[in-house]
Amino acid sequence: MDRKARISDIKRFAVHDGDGIRTTVFFKGCSLKCVWCHNPEGIGFRPQIAYYENKCIDCGECTQFCSRGSHRLTGAGHFYDRTSCVQCGECAAHCLGSALIYYGREITVEELLPLLLEDRDFYETSGGGVTLSGGECLMQADFCAKLLRRLKENGIHTAVDTCGFVPRESFNKVLPWTDVFLYDLKAWDEEAHIRCTGHSNRRILENLRYLDAKGASLELRIPYVPEYNDDQMEKIAEFARTLNNVRKVKILPYHRYAGSKYDALGMENTLPETLPEDAAVEKIKQLFDI
Amino acid sequence: MEYISEASYEYIMKKYRTSPDARFVRNDALFSEDSGHSAEEIMALIRRQDAELSDLPHPVRKAKAFACVLDNTRICCDPRDPFPAIHMIDRPLNATLISAWNHEIFSKVIPEVNPVREQLERNAAATMWSDYDHSVPYWDRILSLGFPGLLWESEQARAAQQEVTPEMTAFYDGIRITYEAVLRFLRRLEAQAVRQGAGRMAAALRNLQTDAPSGFYEALLTDYLYFMLSEHIEGLQARSLANFDRTFYPFYQSDLASGVTEEEIRSDLAHFFLQFTAIGNYWGQPVYLGGCTENEGTVINRLSYLFLDVYDRMGIYNPKVQIKIAGSTPKPFVRKALDMIRRGNNSIVFVSDATIRKSLMNSGASAEEARMCDISGCYEYCIRGGIAIGMQYMNLLKPLEFALHGGCDGISGEPVGEPCPAAEEYEDFGSFFAEYKRQLAALIGKVVRTVNTFENYLHQVNPQSLLSAGYPECIRRGRDALGGGAADSISTIQFGFMANAADSLANIKKYVFDKKMLTLAELRDILDADYAGNERLRRIFLADPDKYGNNKDLSDRIAAEIADFVSGLLCGQPNAPVRGGHWTCGFHVARMSYNWAGSTASSADGRRRGEELSKNLSASMGMNREGATAAILSVTKIDASGFGSDACLDLGLLPSAVQGEDGLTAMQGLLDTFVRRGGHAMHINVFNADTLRKAQQEPEKYKDLQIRVCGWNVLFNNINREEQDGFIRQAESLV
Repeated sequence: MDRKARISDIKRFAVHDGDGIRTTVFFKGCSLKCVWCHNPEGIGFRPQIAYYENKCIDCGECTQFCSRGSHRLTGAGHFYDRTSCVQCGECAAHCLGSALIYYGREITVEELLPLLLEDRDFYETSGGGVTLSGGECLMQADFCAKLLRRLKENGIHTAVDTCGFVPRESFNKVLPWTDVFLYDLKAWDEEAHIRCTGHSNRRILENLRYLDAKGASLELRIPYVPEYNDDQMEKIAEFARTLNNVRKVKILPYHRYAGSKYDALGMENTLPETLPEDAAVEKIKQLFDI
Repeated sequence: MEYISEASYEYIMKKYRTSPDARFVRNDALFSEDSGHSAEEIMALIRRQDAELSDLPHPVRKAKAFACVLDNTRICCDPRDPFPAIHMIDRPLNATLISAWNHEIFSKVIPEVNPVREQLERNAAATMWSDYDHSVPYWDRILSLGFPGLLWESEQARAAQQEVTPEMTAFYDGIRITYEAVLRFLRRLEAQAVRQGAGRMAAALRNLQTDAPSGFYEALLTDYLYFMLSEHIEGLQARSLANFDRTFYPFYQSDLASGVTEEEIRSDLAHFFLQFTAIGNYWGQPVYLGGCTENEGTVINRLSYLFLDVYDRMGIYNPKVQIKIAGSTPKPFVRKALDMIRRGNNSIVFVSDATIRKSLMNSGASAEEARMCDISGCYEYCIRGGIAIGMQYMNLLKPLEFALHGGCDGISGEPVGEPCPAAEEYEDFGSFFAEYKRQLAALIGKVVRTVNTFENYLHQVNPQSLLSAGYPECIRRGRDALGGGAADSISTIQFGFMANAADSLANIKKYVFDKKMLTLAELRDILDADYAGNERLRRIFLADPDKYGNNKDLSDRIAAEIADFVSGLLCGQPNAPVRGGHWTCGFHVARMSYNWAGSTASSADGRRRGEELSKNLSASMGMNREGATAAILSVTKIDASGFGSDACLDLGLLPSAVQGEDGLTAMQGLLDTFVRRGGHAMHINVFNADTLRKAQQEPEKYKDLQIRVCGWNVLFNNINREEQDGFIRQAESLV
């Protein structure tokens, strides 16, 4: 039987995940936990149900398919009890108002491949391709390697969007089949990195140097989050200049658009309050000669 | 406004009406009484004159009425504006002669037409009207010959005829009277320009009385005057201001060579554009750019860029611009247009040169005719000197109503369709789909027979001397453009609501015949009750993933089958014998999505009666769940080259998806893929703040609006109010 990956989503017409028009696969599970994470459904490896209360039409369809009684229609409307829910996804599959979304679909390479090839004409005309993202896609590196290989066999440009916090071996598995790594750098100082993500950045920096030494094509992606990593930018820029294969640097100014996702997932919202100012973003871009 | 002084702007914007909102309220104060008669006096003059001409043929009577207007209307040639003002611009001949002749033909000569027409329109099955809205003047000849040259050529053609019938005499007389009146009118305008101190305009008008236009400004003036005379007096819309960059380029070059500066050219062009902004017709005045040269190079030239740049800097949306895009069209030009679109200019449409050429050649045009074809109307096309009129709309959901109701309309119960078995009788989807097609074929047959009847009389109701003189085939044959004189004479049915029809049929297959969730008779009763008490079923229908426009096999296959069926049935069929042309089909619906929403019963895709119907070949409202690429893949499964007319995809994108160079590359990738896959026309809407606000207020209608910034992938509906406000602000900052 084919090995399956657990993913949270597949998005077509992704235009910010590498060059051209791309399809992005979001893998479930991440090795970091960034306070500003905008894809909270990608943090945990276990499946999750998102419930958007504002979209619920109180049709009661979910109550009929829930074996645990986690969904109930009360006089006050729909009540969803997460504590008893086993995240089987049946409710989301039958939701008539698109209020329930299941994150955690399991899929094989052979199931995924035709979906990713649907837009190949667009990849060709725009210089795009397929991006593996997450979560941290390289936590499922064996699957990624197999998928990337199949994509390359089909002539598709491939990108791996990674936080870098994975064993070296994970990179070795995907390296032959990856055209570009979209590599996140969140902080230079270890202490700052721990504050932002919960983990040290040593392995991340080592892996990045390793990829650079291997001649891998790199696009650095620098989230800019005021009060968290604004003092790190100069150091990151200095480090970036020591690398040989950086073909692009992107500054990702922090936004709060993911707030409702946290609510829908029943997760604690860790999003910082302070938003970046345009002038500050421009200044940082200058640091990186963008 | 750039290029235009405040005084000129003020004057031009009030030239056609008292204020931009005051439709059809002329600004009488602009015109001095001694420049001509009042509107009421002219209407009386026409009636009095025509009463004494009742023995003469219609082309002559109409030409004399046309002359009466030009000889008597008030005029104004203000130095603040390079283009003269004409007082009598509300189609005076329509209100006098044409409406009377129309009534006479329909009530006395072909009384059988109106009952059919009224029944189909009453039941929102089809519209049928005498279409005088979709012809394109032969701009190359008009600009190379000028008004006197067109008259001279017509007289030459008349002299060359070996046998001149009374109809031909009337035809040539109509042209002579019309064009002599135009030349007198130019003299009158010149004198007025001298009186008002508009020296440059006076000199140009003097030249146009005897010669073809000699420079860029005179060419613009000719285009403008011809447009005004045709659209506002003669009563025939001029549905393109030309293949502008190709037709006007020689004038632009000769001006530059003779010392005219580019700034002067920009200024004239801006004043020209502003006329159409000020006229403000809701359908937008088309003008197009691009196409291919004889050796398959690009038509795009320095003037094309200048055109877009002036248009961009003015920030206007009327005239509207089509770009004929081919493999040779320079990428920087396309990117310039795409950049304008993403900054909110939704008036730019791309049409594929390759697809329309293939389509025209499929319907018998030569390769050269296809290459040089005109874009007319919104996205339609026709060979130069051909006339693509006869635009009718048909509702693809009605044959479904008929098939479910034994041949009767689903709302009125009238027997509009063909008698057929009751819903209880169908054993499988195949037999039901076959009945749907039979009803569709019968409806098409009814429309074709009816339209073919009355289109025999278009040239009698509204003879076209002004237009016909420009068409070489008309003057060679001695026949009116509407009466078989044109090089090609096309009639078209525009089929509406493909997505609703395909999704409904897909649901019927899946839930009635495959899953047997309910019977067809039960479905019929539920639809008749507008889903009352069956909201769950409606939600199941709406939530079904196989919606057209998402690259899903079932609904896309049904849509392609319907398209092939109607095009196979209709295209190439002969139209009215007098016109001697053929039928084509298209898939754009203009405002019918709203107009017919209330008269179209609830449908099996989950749409309730009264809710908006789908537009053009796009997914139903809120159903493009898989985004832009999937929408393009779906629509290009339909063979647009078999239609002979248009097949437009409206694509909605968020500003966040098209920002920066990456965004522009993505837009170009969408367009290039659409063209490569044989698509015909693409209209990209980058949603502005207003749209997002509406999405906030009516989320049901904007289910498919996606927010994509970097890694964020959320639906607009799924984010909270505060976050939505953030995106609205972002959209605002792009304007």
